[in-house]
Amino acid sequence: MTTAPRAPHEGNLPPGGYIHREPSFLRRALPWLVLAALVVGFGVLAYFLAQSMQGRQRSFSIYFVEGGWIRFLLFLLAASGVLALTSLIGQRWGQARTGRRISYLAVLGDQLTHLFLILVVLVAIYPLFYVLLAAFDPRNSLFAFPDFENPNILYRSGLLPNLDVLSLENFARLFTGITLPGWQVLLAGLGGAALAAVLLFALAARLGRESAGLVRGRTWAMYLLVGALAALVVFMTPAQFTGPDNESRFVLSVRNTLLVSGLTGVLAILLSTTAGYAMARLRFPGRFQMLLFYIFIQMFPVFLALVAVYALMVLLGLTNTFTGLILAYSGGAIAFNTWIFKGYVESLPESLEEAAMVDGATRWQTFLRVVLPLSGGMLAFIFLNQFIGTYAEFILANVLLTGVEKWTVGVMLLSFTQGQFSTKWGVFAAAATLGALPIVALFYGFQRYFVGGTVAGGVKE
Amino acid sequence: MTLTASPRPRTAAPPDGVRGILLAILILAVLLGSAALIGWLLSGVTARFVPQAPPYLILVYTLGALLLGMPVVARLFPWMVNWYYLVPSLVFLAAFTVLPIVLTVNYAFTNYSGQNSGNPDTGVRTEAVLSADRRTLTLAELPEGASSLAEFLRCRNASCVGDTAILYDEDASTPVRAQIASVQGQSITLTAPVAETFQPASVTRLNRYEYVGLANFREIFGRASSALWPVFVWTVVFAFSTVVINAIAGLILGILLYNKRLKGRNIYRTLLFLPWAIPAVISVQMWKALLNQQFGIVNKTLGLLGIAAVPWLGDPLWAKISVLLVNLWLGFPYMMTATISALATINDDLYEAASIDGASRWQQIQNITLPLLRTSFTPILLSGFAFNFNNFGIIYLLTGGGPPQEGRDATAQSTDILLSWGYNTAFAASGGQNYALASAIALIIFFLTLGISLVNFKAAGVFEEARR
Repeated sequence: MTTAPRAPHEGNLPPGGYIHREPSFLRRALPWLVLAALVVGFGVLAYFLAQSMQGRQRSFSIYFVEGGWIRFLLFLLAASGVLALTSLIGQRWGQARTGRRISYLAVLGDQLTHLFLILVVLVAIYPLFYVLLAAFDPRNSLFAFPDFENPNILYRSGLLPNLDVLSLENFARLFTGITLPGWQVLLAGLGGAALAAVLLFALAARLGRESAGLVRGRTWAMYLLVGALAALVVFMTPAQFTGPDNESRFVLSVRNTLLVSGLTGVLAILLSTTAGYAMARLRFPGRFQMLLFYIFIQMFPVFLALVAVYALMVLLGLTNTFTGLILAYSGGAIAFNTWIFKGYVESLPESLEEAAMVDGATRWQTFLRVVLPLSGGMLAFIFLNQFIGTYAEFILANVLLTGVEKWTVGVMLLSFTQGQFSTKWGVFAAAATLGALPIVALFYGFQRYFVGGTVAGGVKE
Repeated sequence: MTLTASPRPRTAAPPDGVRGILLAILILAVLLGSAALIGWLLSGVTARFVPQAPPYLILVYTLGALLLGMPVVARLFPWMVNWYYLVPSLVFLAAFTVLPIVLTVNYAFTNYSGQNSGNPDTGVRTEAVLSADRRTLTLAELPEGASSLAEFLRCRNASCVGDTAILYDEDASTPVRAQIASVQGQSITLTAPVAETFQPASVTRLNRYEYVGLANFREIFGRASSALWPVFVWTVVFAFSTVVINAIAGLILGILLYNKRLKGRNIYRTLLFLPWAIPAVISVQMWKALLNQQFGIVNKTLGLLGIAAVPWLGDPLWAKISVLLVNLWLGFPYMMTATISALATINDDLYEAASIDGASRWQQIQNITLPLLRTSFTPILLSGFAFNFNNFGIIYLLTGGGPPQEGRDATAQSTDILLSWGYNTAFAASGGQNYALASAIALIIFFLTLGISLVNFKAAGVFEEARR
């Protein structure tokens, strides 16, 4: 952190000493000036937006309620009123029960915060819920006329698709024509059982029965799950997918993505750990310069050089192969992970390594036997981060992978929504649900750890 | 770390200072270069004996040569062992990041495009007859549009000395390159006779690409008012306002959710976390459907509120608003989480002291929370700006750069940012596969990104951390 230049007389102060100075007029006016600028800016923007809305026809496909926003505001007002009343009751009751003074405004503030947060959650999450419902609706409900005759306003406005017709048809289309040999079914069953076991162990831990046996059981179930999944992913072949169209190869694209992301994650670990360790612990001329080089090379987004990467892959004969795609990703995976691992190694106590070296271990042995076993969590973070990042990547994949057999999830989904002849929104919704599931599960499963790592990458205190 | 603790006494220490760095880099470059050379030679030999050998064998051979060469170098210069920890990453960086960058810089000064691709032009293949001495080819006719043979073959000079013609046999399967000695009327004289085993039936030209100096940059800046300036302004406005909007939303939600009295705040947090957990490639396409003017759920909801259908993705101004809103939906969970974890580092005593002194909640936020958040938020905001500056994904998936706007290039529409402009130039139907121009744009973006990152690193203290 850079420190502000000190005024000369500050040197005479005792530690922690403070001289109060009134902020200058301009400084005090600054927030208001910013506010005024924002208001003016939004006013101008609103004027132009209103201009563009002038004289627009009402759409015939949308159910229209004249003056609905007034009703909505009235509803909000009424809800606030009810909350004001319940807060009063709650405050009085709480005071009577505990005998302490409770601020009415604090209680009301909390209640209004709840109202606000519920509205925010509704706005942020309802679209997801709607797409989830659309996945079960065979009538392409993302792009359907609402049922204008229906007495229920949710159906009439199309905010809810008709719940009576929900079926698994969209999902069935994703699974047509897949032939699974017995051993793959067995592996899938094994993976499912391991997943259930992991969830049960997690639930037991949540309920407060954390014990050594529990942790060991969860670790083994996790190994089993990862092993079964890896075997399934590696040994599945495109020949098993005999369906007629793209959507019947969606499961194949999930398998492709898992394969590519997993290998890229492993490669990221292999390439960045040694470099990160050297940057953190070894002192040699050129270390600082190389670190700067890594940081700056990372600035160049790989797909700025998309043309060159493509030309390179054509030259190597690696277009439309996973090898080519993984190699193309590997360049972008190194710098950030090296930086992260360097920071982690620096946080480890150096005395452990010194002790090992006094006992006669070489540098390399120290790294292999002392540092790596200690950094399991960090390696998992690097793997997961790379895995999730690669899973969502579609630009390089879209350019490099030309055959439908090799497509990744992102490219497959693009083909549903940007298809030349039709957009298959129902199938898209089903595929999006299935495709997002693994990542959402990973995110929530490793939430604490993932959030900590990502935010720590940005927040440097 | 003392040298005596090291089990193997070093026979030689690295030279100090700049000389040591340069020497190490030189040794590494020689090692890598010779490994690549060996790989190239070996793959050439393999291709001669096994024609169907895959071209990527060069990578395998290079890697093998590197593995064999490293112990030798370590024996000669023991201090190079330190650098070996970096070698795996350096090799991959060199091959798949540095090499493409070098190629991109190279392309930026050429006229490389779908047309001038460095490949034979199969579209203008013309029948030709070989003379008895197997050195002269006579074309049956000049293809339409070419007034002379030199023009058809796109020779560098009128006599075509040293240029290349492409010969095909009856099957027209594999092109064969031949050096031209001279051209006369409709016949081409080659420098060497054609091999006995090969019977040419047709001739075509090589669409090579040439160095054109700064022409690409001249084109970009010459038509800056219809592409570069508006796109640049929107890129900056987009990156700046998206960071500000997301930060404000994240701050408000984070401060609200950090309130320890609030019951069920973990439920809100878990739910509001969801947009971050879903891969953007999926959620942005979802929003594209939801923002549809006729059938999208957003307009259906607005209809319920008595507001006319908004052309979210169909109007230049509204499309910009949509991009910002969708990016808000994607980005606020991150800002919210960052706020919460930054708030957790603030000591509660400060608030207690303030409330004893009679400060209101708002005064506490204004005078304690926000100033203390500033230190941890500055790097987040700056890296957010750098990220969104090149946030190609959301633009490509949501609007595809559109809707079209008058007076703009076809590749630079109303919501195109610099990066999507470059992508369109190279890969979209509107860009005509102008790879060279796209590379020039990439170079401009690179320098802009570099400038932003320098400021970013300076503020985040990356240089100090690196030097430590």
